[in-house]
Amino acid sequence: MNQTYQKPIPEMQPWSKEYWKGTKQHKLLIQTCNECGAKIFYPRKFCPECWSKDLGWIEAKGTARVYSFTITRDMVEPKFMPDLPYVLAMVDLDEGIRMMTRIVECDHDKIRIGMDVEVVFEDISDDCALPMFRPIRSSQD
Amino acid sequence: MTIEKLSIIGIGEVPTRIMPERSRWDIIYDVCIEAVRDSGLDKNDIEGVISVAPQAQNQLSAEISFGKIPEELGLKGCRDVCICNAGGASTSNCLRLAEQWITSGVAKTVLIPHVTVHSTIPMDDLINFFALAGMDMQWEYPFGTTYNGVIAMGTRRYMYESKVTPEEMAAVVVSLRKWASLDPNSMFYQKPAPTVEAVLSSPLVSDPLHRREGNILADGGSAMVVTSSELAPQITKTPVYKLGEGAVYWGASPVLRDTKENKIQAKEAAKAAFDQAGITKEDIDIWNIYLAYPVGHPQIMEWLEVCEKGQAGKMFLEGHTWPGGKLPWSPIGDAVGRGHTGSGVSTATYVETARQLMGKAGERQVENAKYVFQNTSGGSGMNFIATIWGRELS
Repeated sequence: MNQTYQKPIPEMQPWSKEYWKGTKQHKLLIQTCNECGAKIFYPRKFCPECWSKDLGWIEAKGTARVYSFTITRDMVEPKFMPDLPYVLAMVDLDEGIRMMTRIVECDHDKIRIGMDVEVVFEDISDDCALPMFRPIRSSQD
Repeated sequence: MTIEKLSIIGIGEVPTRIMPERSRWDIIYDVCIEAVRDSGLDKNDIEGVISVAPQAQNQLSAEISFGKIPEELGLKGCRDVCICNAGGASTSNCLRLAEQWITSGVAKTVLIPHVTVHSTIPMDDLINFFALAGMDMQWEYPFGTTYNGVIAMGTRRYMYESKVTPEEMAAVVVSLRKWASLDPNSMFYQKPAPTVEAVLSSPLVSDPLHRREGNILADGGSAMVVTSSELAPQITKTPVYKLGEGAVYWGASPVLRDTKENKIQAKEAAKAAFDQAGITKEDIDIWNIYLAYPVGHPQIMEWLEVCEKGQAGKMFLEGHTWPGGKLPWSPIGDAVGRGHTGSGVSTATYVETARQLMGKAGERQVENAKYVFQNTSGGSGMNFIATIWGRELS
């Protein structure tokens, strides 16, 4: 854990704590509805499809494809400035959900839409880690 | 029974500039008085005030919410006051609420003002506000999302899918600035529009978005006076009528929005507006599009089939959307060409819709403009509101 983490920490809700607990164990969880079978992102108190309260979790494989991305170079809040340039991205998980993330551990010029990526966790507090994604080696070549 | 329609009968505006010397109330006075005088009404004829919620200006927001405008201006006939907040879609909701007040008899005439002064907001507050508005605090913001970043991702995806080139995207800025250079209310008035090359050689802020493809925060204000279609012709010679409206909610968090679905829904919203107005897109003289970044312009043009598939980029590049072109598009230059006044860009866009249909748009006047299509959207793109306006009841 990084005691000096200055950037924003996710503002959790009671029903999303399980998700963030998973990230601490470096597991990417997906909320599911036991009644209608929906895979839910982001986690909700009730299923957004059928309003069931019978919700559970599955562990994602952790692999995804880049839907879109941007290399952020300027005009960010001071707390994000030390990170510049950083790559914001939306990725599509194999399980069919799309999430916001960053692409890390790679040459920015090689990132492409459709590139295969895998989850890697950045521990930021006692309660959570941020799921980032890095190219799967074969896809970067 | 004829269905009563809303009519804009007066408009007022101060030029969008960076003007920290002007207080918010200084601007409110001027835009309101100009709009009421333009309508030909007496101040005491105004029976309601519905304000566009000013973003990131808490004190002003509280003052307006709790009734200060009619008192300050001495609107002795005012029966009620309210504020609407839906970000960039606030003005659309002010107009809708005014319709309700008018049809239900609460007020016969309503004043709809907006003011924003960004230049005196402390930088930290401004950064915080725009960092948080329209982003999810749990699922997006911790990764360092910004408005520019979210739009940049949408732009990249759009360019990937549509094969629109960087030159064509830059040409959207050129087109918007061509209009802005003719608009006394724009901060770029009489300033030459940049070339495609100049846009593309400006620094990348968030690839593929260049600095000149972004917005400059500015100060400004505008106002409208509205009434019923029945009373409008008795008050003014240049009434402007709201003929149709359609809307769709897309979602709050950018990551959850699906462009394929959005496209279908936008078409449906526009169709509802056209059906209600009883006209078709071929009848539209001006596409007054409000989106605050370049990408949405070619996107909307294709979604609504205003051009042939895959041709939107070319429409901007070849100048068809410029002043004098066959497809007049965003004649105040949208936020990119006007200066960004928070929720006020959409107010100014409605004011321009009325101005064009009233025949008061000066150098930007589209000759014989009869019908205008105007859209608005709030947050980081949470919805799409399509409206049709005309100078005659259809």
